[in-house]
Amino acid sequence: MDFRKYELDAHIYDEMFHSDGSARSHYQGLHQALASTSAADLGDIQEQVTGSFSSEGISFKVYGDEEGDERIIPVDCLPRVLSAGEWRELETGLTQRLKALNLFLADVYGPARIVQDGVIPVDVVRGCPQYRIEMRGFEAPHGVWVAICGTDLVRTNEGFKVLEDNLRVPSGVAYMLANRKAVKASFRRLYRASRVQEVEHYGQVLRTTLEELSPAGTSDPTIALLTPGVFNSAFYEHMFLAGQIGAELVEGRDLLVDDGVVYMRTTAGLRRVDVVYRRIDDDFIDPVVFREDSLLGVPGIMHACQQGNVTLANAPGTGVADDKSVYAYVPDMIRYYLAEEPVIANVETYLCRNPEGLEYTLDNLANLVVKRVGESGGYGMLIGPHATPAERTEYAEQVRANPADFISQPVLALSRAPCLIDGRIEPRHVDLRPFVLHGRETRIVPGAFCRVALRRGSLVVNSSQGGGGKDLWVLEN
Amino acid sequence: MLSRSAEGLYWMGRYLERAQHLSRLLRLQTEALVDRPVGEIHFGWLRVYGTLHRQPPVGSLELLAQDDYTLADSYTLADDLTFEPTNSDSVWSGISNGRENARHVRHCLSAEMWTCLNRTYLRIQGMTIQDIWAASPERFYAETVADIDTFAGVAAATMYRDEGWRFLNLGRAIERVQLSSALLHAQIVAAELTHDVSEVAWTGLLRLYHALEVYDRTYGLTVEPRQALDLLATDARLPDSLARTLHRLSAELTDTAASPDTQAAGAAHRLVGRMSALVNYAWLDQDDLKALLQQLTAHGRDLHDLVTASFFNYPLHDVPAR
Repeated sequence: MDFRKYELDAHIYDEMFHSDGSARSHYQGLHQALASTSAADLGDIQEQVTGSFSSEGISFKVYGDEEGDERIIPVDCLPRVLSAGEWRELETGLTQRLKALNLFLADVYGPARIVQDGVIPVDVVRGCPQYRIEMRGFEAPHGVWVAICGTDLVRTNEGFKVLEDNLRVPSGVAYMLANRKAVKASFRRLYRASRVQEVEHYGQVLRTTLEELSPAGTSDPTIALLTPGVFNSAFYEHMFLAGQIGAELVEGRDLLVDDGVVYMRTTAGLRRVDVVYRRIDDDFIDPVVFREDSLLGVPGIMHACQQGNVTLANAPGTGVADDKSVYAYVPDMIRYYLAEEPVIANVETYLCRNPEGLEYTLDNLANLVVKRVGESGGYGMLIGPHATPAERTEYAEQVRANPADFISQPVLALSRAPCLIDGRIEPRHVDLRPFVLHGRETRIVPGAFCRVALRRGSLVVNSSQGGGGKDLWVLEN
Repeated sequence: MLSRSAEGLYWMGRYLERAQHLSRLLRLQTEALVDRPVGEIHFGWLRVYGTLHRQPPVGSLELLAQDDYTLADSYTLADDLTFEPTNSDSVWSGISNGRENARHVRHCLSAEMWTCLNRTYLRIQGMTIQDIWAASPERFYAETVADIDTFAGVAAATMYRDEGWRFLNLGRAIERVQLSSALLHAQIVAAELTHDVSEVAWTGLLRLYHALEVYDRTYGLTVEPRQALDLLATDARLPDSLARTLHRLSAELTDTAASPDTQAAGAAHRLVGRMSALVNYAWLDQDDLKALLQQLTAHGRDLHDLVTASFFNYPLHDVPAR
């Protein structure tokens, strides 16, 4: 393959190439390997990678999709590569950020010093639909509200930025592992020569993290992974992780609470559960406390959690910290709680709840991405430059009607990485979601679910919106 | 083990056993289409539909004297039994449902089991009766049988011998008892309804259970219906005989952990004992085998209910917690 037609753009950071067209040093291995591989061989590799996803049934579901139950996520066989130095910086920044976010959660559900000290306006916290008044006064085990975090990072010419903190039920780690398994098997010699840091121990690290958070006095804790069920878009991952961490995969109907203790129904009777890694949203977790029409949850589990008889990971109420409005204040949180400067920057964010933010947003709609604060997964957003004038006018009305529901950000020139598209190597926009685990200490497996917008020019990487995945290699020193 | 996971494995076992058994029957039946007279083909369809207690889509199964009609009907019937998604007993439904249950409990399976089963599923996805009919339908059925045999072998070679393994086998064994007693019953009924059933109808039955060579060695080369039935029911050395399946069933039930519902579990054990007694002690002296087989089928249904009540769906009050 050659890169003569590979398109570089000075405004967009290319992961593989410097702006002069020479390969970055940590990409030398891949660059040489691709240069000496024929298009036909690369096509075979791509087929092999895709085929392994299909035969292993690594699937997800798109809501509202009529076409059957399962879809295979598109996967690009070319890995994205990060140097050890780049990764170290990310690791430091992610650790710092999660530490501050956990302190923030303990604070807003406790003394709320940060609000009293005027760092964050009270409306932003209390007005957030994810703020759970029921969690006031709750003390999370070892102060850990968020044990599993999946942070979305993007890179521009200015460096890495945090796009979103996912602190509720982040998904995608199974793809990180599946991509690695498939790509490693297809680029065997290159992989060995590249000295890539391992990610395969993620399950063990997750298990250790959950064990560290088990209620006081439990030695060998029983861990269950609570899934909404097979119709959830991430069911494959729930099942996969349950196997990886040696947990039972339970649904709400398998659990019951008696006298403040959680049990699961086994073939040999009821068995006590100590830690619930829940992959079900707050709203649905306990019909007694949250949505009473929820059939997915476990009546009484919140009471058991508050009594300290069971650990829910992540704790209910963490959504207040990854709210799109609260996001704008995370750099301030880091300074407030840790007295440090943020290592990884935020994306510039305008809150429409503030009059100046609203005005700026409406005036510059054509150049901004506008998001609804309560939505995730790429739903309900407007990408200004890609929208028609009519769409922008309609959206502006919605923003004016409920300004507090919206934020806006500049359209980022997300970095691009080489992908195999129709037999040619072309650049496509990418982001990455590393998974940060926190029990007694922070642990980050050196890898990430790297998402890629496979449609030419598209900036939307969400798998529910036509995005795909690729492997991310973090090289050793 | 989580009750719902155990139930998933149990059903996975049942569905795959069902798909495999039907594929074996259809393989035999499509082979007959090549060279057997219409009377025998007719007998074969009566036997298949009788086993499934199902009404054929072409109305009643009449004996058609002409080849053309018989073959046209056979195409429709094979489609109904193989690819019809609304027929919960079809081969397609069995494999899809087995695989769907496996998807729910995949973390309880070995990786090799899942991959093997998923490949089987992907192979038949999107296939239609036209695809298999023109060239060699029997090859399709043979491949399906082999796929599910392979799955069983992969399971035996790779699956951890925990509760999950036992519930998987419990499901397979209960389904097998049900299918075998239904098939033997249907064979007797179809033989009564059809005049001049040739010996081939009986050699076919023996082949279906890998028993023809054994029969020839034991009883000689002329197949006597009663002797064939005796062999298939009572010879515990035959892998798929009723006696051996019940023996397996009893062993799996004994090995499962103590159920929280001791009453239901005790009743299940006693029922398997009664079923074994019917086959091992009552069978050889019984003239009315149809009645005995019906009794066996009814017991099988009750056994399913008792297993469900003992392990999957027991009442939660008064259950001791661990």
